[in-house]
Amino acid sequence: MKSQISSLVCPARNKSNTIPVVLLALLATTYVVTAADMGSGKQVYDTACVGCHASGVLKAPKLGDKQDWSKREQQGLQVLLTHAIKGFKNMPAKGGNPTIKDKEIEVAIKYMLASSGLSQYAQSGQTESKTAQGGKEDRSSSVNSFNRLMKSSDEWNLPPSEDGIHDPDNGGTHMLQKPKQAFETLSSSKSGNRVDWGKALESNEISPRYDRLDDQVKPIIMDLNIVREVKGSMPDVVYPHKQHTEWLDCSNCHPAIFIPQKGANQISMAGILLGQKCGVCHGKVAFPVSECRRCHSKQKTLKTAGKSEPTN
Amino acid sequence: MLKCRTINTILFIIALWASPLVTNAEYGDVLMNNYSEAAGMRPVVFPHWFHRIRFRCKVCHADLGFKFEAGGNEINMLKIIDGEYCGACHNGEVAWAVENCDLCHTGKPGEPTQVHKSTTFKLQSGSGKKKAGSAQ
Repeated sequence: MKSQISSLVCPARNKSNTIPVVLLALLATTYVVTAADMGSGKQVYDTACVGCHASGVLKAPKLGDKQDWSKREQQGLQVLLTHAIKGFKNMPAKGGNPTIKDKEIEVAIKYMLASSGLSQYAQSGQTESKTAQGGKEDRSSSVNSFNRLMKSSDEWNLPPSEDGIHDPDNGGTHMLQKPKQAFETLSSSKSGNRVDWGKALESNEISPRYDRLDDQVKPIIMDLNIVREVKGSMPDVVYPHKQHTEWLDCSNCHPAIFIPQKGANQISMAGILLGQKCGVCHGKVAFPVSECRRCHSKQKTLKTAGKSEPTN
Repeated sequence: MLKCRTINTILFIIALWASPLVTNAEYGDVLMNNYSEAAGMRPVVFPHWFHRIRFRCKVCHADLGFKFEAGGNEINMLKIIDGEYCGACHNGEVAWAVENCDLCHTGKPGEPTQVHKSTTFKLQSGSGKKKAGSAQ
């Protein structure tokens, strides 16, 4: 156990030595790629859109043709964006270049609108591209930038083709749903998928089936809180059966993971971090273990805290 | 302490190289490469987030018998075609059928079986003990 704990503790110390070097190298490479990728609206246009939108072939609205573009613009930018990303009539999805990011498409559309005399887009096409690019530039170029090793929010929930585990050369990858689109209407959280799944279910933002075939079957809810007193100075743990039975069946946890008997289960954070007990789901799929207070939620009375002190 | 730091330095470099810390995968994405690459296919990516929007955990993990262990179910295409595991839904009735190979076999070649962003995998990656992080 001691070695486990020291290995849990040591990496943090060690971060200060190794991670900056390795990560800086990684950041440097990432930056080169992204900077080349992002570009301004004009750059994106020159690579992906110019083929049709310069000449107006296949009824594509021509760059510089105000009449052509204002007709499209009346549908709203969002519609244009959706058409450009998903494809519409003769327009292939992302101009036939699936590696382009949604944000770049947006910047390119604004560039084309602005260049076609729709002056309200004149600024935004450029500023957007600057922030998209400049944000990253600031983060990696300034040595003392704030939270320099943390991911910025535009690096969360990337589409499958950019997430590093899907193969962008595989055609199917580009047909998969993008997490950001799916999560748009869901309650957000600060960790995991950046979605508060419990809240999303509670407020009917999602309605996942409880039965494979029948969407009318309702879950069997058990509303019983179990309070576990913890030895250290952390607040006690309140385990709510209610939220768990919303998702799971009793047999998922009992008796293999938790013996359904008071005092029969030894639970430790070390075990949880290694994937045992609560860690079978928490830290993998259910909210991560960094959310200490979502479980350790019952403040101890002063007396109890005093009693548990000597054991430390 | 110096020894601990040296070992951890090595582990961290291996961990970074093995990439769980640097991918932008979604939390809970399961990559399965038990048999895929050996059979000339890309590994499978199972997106937990996509499925939990549509089904509660119970459907797969109680009714269909999926164990809480990445790669621990020994799933192969025969079982799927027979309606087991993924095949209980991916049969053209509940969800699209098995002929859409490239919608599941989407992983980057060479990736090991793991739950992405898993605390256990982060702590143990590179040490070759990732099996210990399994359910029971």
